[in-house]
This record gives sequence, structure tokens and C-alpha cells, in this order.
Amino acid sequence: MNNEGVEMDRFECGTEAATPMSGSLELCVDSDWAQMGRVNEDIYRFLVSCKLSEELAARYTMVACELTENGIKYGNPDKSPGGVHVRIRLEGGEIYLEVSSAVGDESKPFLVELDRTIQWARGFQDPFEAYIARLRAISHEPLDIDRSGLGLVRITYEGRAALDFYLEEDRTLSVSAVSQLNN
Amino acid sequence: MSESQTYAYDQLKIDLNVEKNSYVVRFLGKSFLKDPSEFVLPILWKALQEAIVAGKRIVIDFRDLAYMNSSTLTPVIKILERVRVGRGEITIEYRKSMKWQDISFSALVIFQTPDRRIEIIGVD
Repeated sequence: MNNEGVEMDRFECGTEAATPMSGSLELCVDSDWAQMGRVNEDIYRFLVSCKLSEELAARYTMVACELTENGIKYGNPDKSPGGVHVRIRLEGGEIYLEVSSAVGDESKPFLVELDRTIQWARGFQDPFEAYIARLRAISHEPLDIDRSGLGLVRITYEGRAALDFYLEEDRTLSVSAVSQLNN
Repeated sequence: MSESQTYAYDQLKIDLNVEKNSYVVRFLGKSFLKDPSEFVLPILWKALQEAIVAGKRIVIDFRDLAYMNSSTLTPVIKILERVRVGRGEITIEYRKSMKWQDISFSALVIFQTPDRRIEIIGVD
């Protein structure tokens, strides 16, 4: 782990093509909110290096950062250095973004909320409708309630990505977003 | 005469300018707020209350914001609803040519009121 809290395990992108290409990035991030600026910059730079337009790079940087924020907030209870793993893969015209971290019993409410939000968002034919419904719901909540669930819905609407998650036997939670690059 | 104040948090800067007819709150940089109620909400809420007392409109200008997480938008949504059902006048300005801004902020039109007390404006 380096001193800055973000370890870049792999940074690969071919250079021969002018259109979006294949490539992968893995980051190991400390459970330290102050890392988010660096994570944001590393991911954006990687996506631009893979020939994504600025618009797409900004879109998927947002997706990866929203997932990473949840990983930092609700995962890695032991605060292991580099305990939040960010993986991005571009392949066959598709982008796959995943954030994994260990979860403990204290993460149960988040897991329930995660499952509920993803199922709820899938119930809408158009992600825009889910986003609007979420905005309306948040608008009525008290000012001092911090959890909004907007990040996940934003991923499906603004990020045009399909969300999923799985919990492994060793209690590693992986939340993923998949999107077509021509979407 | 105008008053101005600047607030900073990590890579986010918020400039507040009290102008003749409005309170202008300008967001600059990148916002990675952890909790919606931290930093942004107190600034917006105080500016709104002062603007109401002074009979002025509050203008929230996001055009120079390069990135924001969803926790940054949450207090804005809550304040729009408070103005919609209560008092005050508020304008949200965003940069239409920045795709993410267009997608995020244009959806706020659901809070717009027929009497234009709340306006959501995409600027090119």
C-alpha cells in the first residue's frame, strides 16, 4: 500500500485502436473518504486512456465513484489498508465496474437496503422514472437524514448501467454495474 | 453594494454573493461530500432564510462544478421541496453542454412551480 491510500494494481490499455478498446484497472482503496478525489482522477484518466469520450469517461467515473463510496461507507469494517477493491474492465463493447469489500454484521441494514433498492429500481421500465420517484421521496425526508439511496438509482439512470450484487461465503460483498458502451 | 463569502471543503468551493436582487451561491470544483447534511446544507439553508427575509431570490449556480456525488444533490432536492411548499424564490442554473449536468439537473424540473418561484435553467 502506498502512502496515498490508493494502490493501482493494474493499469492496462491497448493503444492501437481509435475506438473504445479493451482494458482493465484495479484499485485497492483505503477506507478513508479523503481518497475519493484521487480515486475519481485515476478512474477518469484510465477511461480516457481507453479512448472513451469525455462524456462516457465522466459517466462511468461517476458510476465507479458512487460504488466506491458505498464500499468505504459500509464495507471493510476492520479498515484493512486497501480493503476496498475497485475493478473496471472494458471488453467487447461493454464496461464492467465492480467494487468489493468485506462486510460484517453491522453492514446488514445496508445489505437489506441495497437489495431493496436494486429490486425496486428494476421494477421501473425506464430508469428515469425510478430516478424521479427517488427525487420525490428524498425531497420529503427530514433535512438531517443522511442516507438517500440516490447513488444507486443515479447509476441506473445517469450511468445507464444494470446493477447487481453478490455476497460470497467469506462475506465479501461485490456490487457491480454493467453497461453497453454504445448505450 | 454586494457582500461575498467563500467556503471550501476538500476540492469543493462555494462562493456566496449577496447582490442587489439575489443571493448567488456558486459551486466550483469537485464535490465528494460524505453526508448530505454536512457543509452544503447549512450554507444553502442559511442563504435561503436570509434571502427570504430580504425578499430576494436565491440563485444556485452549478455551471462550474466539474463533478458531484449523489450526496451533494440531496440537500438541494430537500431545499427545493421546502421552497415549493413554503416561501422563497429559487433558481437552479446548470451547464446544458455538460452531459452529466444536463442529465442530473434537468430532472429537477419536477420541482418547478407555475409561478416561476422555482426555476430550473440549463444554460449553454
